[in-house]
Amino acid sequence: MTPTTYDTIFQQVIVLLQKYAPESGPINEETELVNDLGFDSLKVMEMLNDVEDTFDITYPLNSLSDLLTVKDFTEQIQSHVENS
Amino acid sequence: MSILDKLCVVSEARNALLPPGVDPFNVVIEEIYSATEASIQGRRVLLAGTNNYLGLTFDPQCIKAAQVSLEKEGTGTTGSRMANGTFAGHRDLEKDLASFCSCSEAIVFSTGFVANLGVISTLAGPGDVIVLDADSHASIYDACRMSGAEMIRFRHNNLEDLEKKLKRLGPKAEKTLIIVEGIYSMLGDCAPLAEIAALKKKYGTWLLVDEAHSMGVLGDHGRGMAEAAGVEDDVDFIVGTFSKSLGSIGGYCVSNHPELALIRYVCRSYVFTASPSPSTIASVRAALQAIQTKPQLRTRLWDNATLLYQGLKELGFELGPDLSPVVAIRVPTREKTLLAWQTLLDRGIYVNLVFPPAAPAGMSLLRCSISAAHTPEQVDFILETFSDIKNLMT
Repeated sequence: MTPTTYDTIFQQVIVLLQKYAPESGPINEETELVNDLGFDSLKVMEMLNDVEDTFDITYPLNSLSDLLTVKDFTEQIQSHVENS
Repeated sequence: MSILDKLCVVSEARNALLPPGVDPFNVVIEEIYSATEASIQGRRVLLAGTNNYLGLTFDPQCIKAAQVSLEKEGTGTTGSRMANGTFAGHRDLEKDLASFCSCSEAIVFSTGFVANLGVISTLAGPGDVIVLDADSHASIYDACRMSGAEMIRFRHNNLEDLEKKLKRLGPKAEKTLIIVEGIYSMLGDCAPLAEIAALKKKYGTWLLVDEAHSMGVLGDHGRGMAEAAGVEDDVDFIVGTFSKSLGSIGGYCVSNHPELALIRYVCRSYVFTASPSPSTIASVRAALQAIQTKPQLRTRLWDNATLLYQGLKELGFELGPDLSPVVAIRVPTREKTLLAWQTLLDRGIYVNLVFPPAAPAGMSLLRCSISAAHTPEQVDFILETFSDIKNLMT
């Protein structure tokens, strides 16, 4: 069953992000994917594969341009989960 | 913050990676002697990374055709295709390409990059969906962004992932363009095009294939992967380049959809850039003839590719998954890749050095591309040299 509440998705997003940024400090809603976690384009693409599998969604690349923080990312995923 | 700060980041990355005086990304061919030999860094080297698959850059008929055109038509068109840049030769080449590919429509562009940029960004627009292979060329990614269409990436050559994404499209499938390549430029692996075409039909989408590295290389007549896979009728649009098998520069798109002709009026990279010079067009027309009349070139190309691929495999190198004229050798670290690349050059062989993100999945590669013009002795020399420097690469 794919999670649909913001909080449940947020918790899973944190786990995923920690996998790709193991050296980072604590991750919260305001953490920025590029500036704080150091994600480059390759890492983002790998991470998106994981996100798509975990939430059983298609994540369009266009969505990346609106992405800054973990909160943005979680809200986007939630929107894709709800519309899938 | 200055507008130039982002370039400082590039400078730091370059300085961290490259020792002073070594820049594999700014190699100068000081003199070119043939399709397979040149002078680089003051020494004569064997070219094993030029995408010159059929070796036609020095074909006497291609050169003669270009010379005649140069004398007769001058050095350039000084205009775009839509204005004064369509000469009779441009239209003749379009007829040649349409005939060669058994398509009703063909359009010639100034490069393969702008062919992708123009065709894809004009065909797809806001409200449409593009489903592209993750390892697609930069020109495809840029074109998709320019189109304004929703961009969905599927894992490289992964049919299961592609189908999963097509299934989720629902009614949007009819406004969806799948984009794949015949042979992928970095690892030389081939698209499973028969299966992709079957999915295209199953879900009612459209299909565009970039045959940049497969035209002249694959298929009984050299038409590319669509021909080799027996799915030419299922491919809606084929884009290609003149700068690989055809030994020149330029790009094209062919299709059986008559609507393709209409993009001449609205495709920005067709309307707003100068057209290929007449001599370029003349040499491409001669090269296209060579592809059709000299099937032995493809035979030699594949003989050489087999020699190199099998030879490197027997030496224990980690290669791309498919035998093709693009032979990519995976090297564990960037430092070792760089050292091996420079050592190869010092010993008289030029290959391409590829780092991420140009190489997929974070790999560092030494990328060879083999040519019909290579002699078996030259291929042996490449193998012997790789064997000698193997310890630097593991």
